[in-house]
Amino acid sequence: MNEERIKISQDLLSDGFGLIAASGYINNEGGQAIADAANKLMDQGCKTLLIDLDGTRIINSIGVSILLEILEKLMDEKGQLAFCNLTPTISKTFEIMGLVQYASVYSDREAAQSAIAGDASV
Amino acid sequence: MEVVLHLPVVPNVELVAAKAVEALGGALGMHQTHVEAASVAMVEACLNAMEHGGGPFTVRLRSENQESRPCLVIEVEDHGEGFDPATAPQNSASRVLGSTMKRGWGLTLIRELMDEVQIRSGPGMTQVSMRKYVESAP
Repeated sequence: MNEERIKISQDLLSDGFGLIAASGYINNEGGQAIADAANKLMDQGCKTLLIDLDGTRIINSIGVSILLEILEKLMDEKGQLAFCNLTPTISKTFEIMGLVQYASVYSDREAAQSAIAGDASV
Repeated sequence: MEVVLHLPVVPNVELVAAKAVEALGGALGMHQTHVEAASVAMVEACLNAMEHGGGPFTVRLRSENQESRPCLVIEVEDHGEGFDPATAPQNSASRVLGSTMKRGWGLTLIRELMDEVQIRSGPGMTQVSMRKYVESAP
């Protein structure tokens, strides 16, 4: 089950815009690892976070509930959360649990970056 | 084809059951998206069994041909106190956002991700039985 262990990387893409790439099982540990990365980026001034789930195929509701907490924290800061590279099942799970009502979903990283950069220029 | 797993309550054991869904769903020719949906439902059923079952639990998977429609049948059985499925809380996104209680999504996800779900529960035994058809709606 080692291939399911979450792997996280984070990057500051531009001023106020951070990227978290996560692949593996998003359970309580995986969700917390993403939350820790989000907190670090928010501490650096990021109010827009893109979470790229390329390589993530299995999640559970405990992990997704931690993602909801990240969303709430960003909303409190008037920030925004976006996701890309979701499988259809993860996308449906996010829809059922209400994440996609408040976060943006993009097909891939390029589409997300270009849409978010477009928003920032308005 | 049938697989029976007797699983202990240890971290991430639900992934063993999810692997069995992958193997059987793949052997049935099920689309990857349906396999992944059934895997997430399986994970949620196992988490419920571990949280409320109070000990080891049993997972059974088999293929069936229901009125010439091949499907994967999953049963997760625990031996906890049981509950009344009719009064089990149904979560909704509007209720969860802003609340400190974000848990309790298992049955909602199972019902949404699988084609048919039956729950039988009483003192000492809860069985969640679910079905995903090979030719399932997306």
